[in-house]
Amino acid sequence: MTALADAGRAPPRRSLSTFALSENGIAVAVLAVFAVLPLVISGYPIYILPQYMLFGVMAMSLGLLWGFVGILSFGQAAFFALGAYTIGLAMQSDLGVNPAYVGLLLSLVVGGVLAALAGYFLFSAGVRPTYFVLVTLALSIMVEQIAVSQSEITGGWNGMFIDRMTVTVGPWIAVSLSADLPAYYSVLPVVALSYALLRWLVSARFGKILVGIRENEDRMAALGFDVSMYKTIAFAISGAVACFAGALYGTQANFVAPSLGGVLFSTEVVVWVAIGGRSSLLGALLGGVLVASLSNYLSAITPEYWQLVQGLIFILVIMFFKGGLAGAVAGLGRRGWRRQVAP
Amino acid sequence: MATTLSVILDATLITLVLALAAFGLAIIYGLIGVINMGHGAFLTLGAYLTWATTHAGVPFVAAVLLAAVGVGVVGLVLEHLIIRHFYDRPFDTLLLTWAFFLVMTELIKIVFGTDFRNVVNPLPGALDLGPVKVPVYRATIALVAILLIVATALVFYRTTLGIKIRALIQNREVASLLGLDIARMYKMVFVVGAATAGLAGGLISPMLSVDPYIGNIFLVRSFFVVIVGGVGQLLGGTVIGSFFIGGLETIFSLVSKQVFAQAVVFAIAIVILRFRPSGLLRHR
Amino acid sequence: MSELLRSEGLTKRFAGLTAADRIDFALEAGSVRCIIGPNGAGKTTFLSMISGHQKPTSGVIYYKGRDITALSVVERARIGIARKFQTPTVFDALTAYQNVELAVLGTRRPKHQQRARIFEVLDLIRLADEWAKPVQFLSHGQRQWLEVGLLIAIEAELLLLDEPTAGMTATETAATVRLINMLTREFGLSVIIIEHDINFIRDLHSPVTVLHLGRVLMEGSFDEVATNEAVREIYLGDAA
Repeated sequence: MTALADAGRAPPRRSLSTFALSENGIAVAVLAVFAVLPLVISGYPIYILPQYMLFGVMAMSLGLLWGFVGILSFGQAAFFALGAYTIGLAMQSDLGVNPAYVGLLLSLVVGGVLAALAGYFLFSAGVRPTYFVLVTLALSIMVEQIAVSQSEITGGWNGMFIDRMTVTVGPWIAVSLSADLPAYYSVLPVVALSYALLRWLVSARFGKILVGIRENEDRMAALGFDVSMYKTIAFAISGAVACFAGALYGTQANFVAPSLGGVLFSTEVVVWVAIGGRSSLLGALLGGVLVASLSNYLSAITPEYWQLVQGLIFILVIMFFKGGLAGAVAGLGRRGWRRQVAP
Repeated sequence: MATTLSVILDATLITLVLALAAFGLAIIYGLIGVINMGHGAFLTLGAYLTWATTHAGVPFVAAVLLAAVGVGVVGLVLEHLIIRHFYDRPFDTLLLTWAFFLVMTELIKIVFGTDFRNVVNPLPGALDLGPVKVPVYRATIALVAILLIVATALVFYRTTLGIKIRALIQNREVASLLGLDIARMYKMVFVVGAATAGLAGGLISPMLSVDPYIGNIFLVRSFFVVIVGGVGQLLGGTVIGSFFIGGLETIFSLVSKQVFAQAVVFAIAIVILRFRPSGLLRHR
Repeated sequence: MSELLRSEGLTKRFAGLTAADRIDFALEAGSVRCIIGPNGAGKTTFLSMISGHQKPTSGVIYYKGRDITALSVVERARIGIARKFQTPTVFDALTAYQNVELAVLGTRRPKHQQRARIFEVLDLIRLADEWAKPVQFLSHGQRQWLEVGLLIAIEAELLLLDEPTAGMTATETAATVRLINMLTREFGLSVIIIEHDINFIRDLHSPVTVLHLGRVLMEGSFDEVATNEAVREIYLGDAA
């Protein structure tokens, strides 16, 4: 009986148009655009885009936490800056192996471990989500201040200069990323890979559980799910991703200063993700890339007015467009039987 | 001996200034549960309005009071347009008040420019108390803080209005059954909280150089003051919380850089928050 | 029949108020028990202590012979104790399918078997045709059933149901009786039900425990309880 009844309920076969309009389809299209962009444009945009893409990855780490688990963090930039400082320090030392690789690996570990510890400490006690926001805000202030005060290590207010890294494969290949094109085509695959990995993660069992926790935490606990463990893991992943992105950013932007991890930047990430769409990884990623680049471009022209407008847009998004741009797009293309993007 | 005395005095003065700054937030967060991330903006605006009015020749006390009213009006507009629709959604109010901070800060930058401003100290000089010297103004502010707290205590525990407000906090449903106009009370509490923050900003302004982010120094501190002291414990909580945060910071800054001291105090506050989310003061 | 659940001296005191007073309770595996009592009798408090949502002030809880008093909500759910709350606590924004899916994800079932299992449960709770509907659009009765479905899906052995028929029509209530009978007789589950609906309890033919002011007043069959003087008094006295 069940098999027969099942057959009638089988999902419609996915046509090309369904795929094209799905998140994966759009992601592929966006990737293609970015892949061919340097053939069309050159100069400053190609120089600066990798940095914005890495902002996007940091935004994505927040999207994972906020959109899927429902945990807002005002501290992702703290991890980002930590990553940049980590690779900066790694590249100053004489390690024998490619110091950038060490820095990148270390940043994953540092971000993941710190987030796991903080997460465990807070979630195991069932800290209220609103308190968690305050704690992450305090943490980003603390990171900024520690970066300022430990100036012998970090360079204090003046910041730290970081070299461009060199991509090495064994003793045979060494490609310096000092030029625009090699840098661009090294960062782009990393960004695409991070997106793909996180996407895979959330579409699997883990992601569904996170959504369940967001939708009704008490019910999840009463169904036997260790809610605080899942939250801690999600936080650890987002911390590791943000830290890694920061490390790569450090060697791209060649510079890190305490303000990179500070409150203003941390909260700007929240604005990007809110506008881009928190419940969609792609929305968060693109929100980061596009809003950040737009923001920087407009800031150069009219800083106060742009920040003002951005603040007002943020208010409108929170009040009326919870799902951000991604939510609006998903609403337009909504099919009957299956939601791509959780509300 | 003199150093200990001066440390204690310093700590006390800092504590009371912090209590003054945090009081507006204690009112808004403690009474109506709004996580007002715009608290810093209220303080900043109070400072700027005070500067603008004193600059125009208005005497200091009047200027501060005008600033308080001005910030109260801004709070009223914010509450009426936006906040009142989101009382049941703490997360959204958190974000919306933060957005308000962003917008207000930019407005301040546009109107007043980004240069540092100085509000002239109306009571310069220092009291010579023998082993220690106390800046007159600072001491006066500390007294004002105490007076404000005592006055609020009187309102809360001796007036009908105070009773109504406390009833509101205890049980919203019951309060509405009793015929209290909930919406109006929330509005009033929000405006009073905003005005108090504006007042604090104005009073504190002569002690610091005024820039668009001046209020934010107190934002996270104020939250920790309220949480550590106990949300809703308006009086005892604010005092205890301020002593804790302010006092600890003073003591730590003796042994390390001030910037680092704050980080340490935050860390301790986070630990307390984790183990005692309802604050240090035992729930009555 | 073996004993599934036992509580000894289970007590819960809040400042000044004794919500539950030395409750001794026992339930055989594969059986049903209804708990009744006027408001404030301690029914939900008792259930909360069994599910782990409240920590008892004193007393012990045994489940399958093991002392579980110190276990958390999550741990108890893992060993088979599942609770349905007074207000339907389900995932409102998700579809019925997604709701049950989450519950099934908590079990060890391999991925390729999950779909079948989800529809199996949906069939049981009569939501198979509305699997794609966001649960917030289901009727109150359907949502109550969905919540029970979640408990079935995680393969719980002891179901704690807090007023499952509240807000249901007579038809729905009768269907709930049949569902619970099937759960106990066919699947061997055990069920503790807090209820106010006398007809429901009568049709269920289950033994009844009467709580009053936090204490067990009496236990017996439905008929014994319905005709008991003391029981009538506490209800009539309460209604007056």
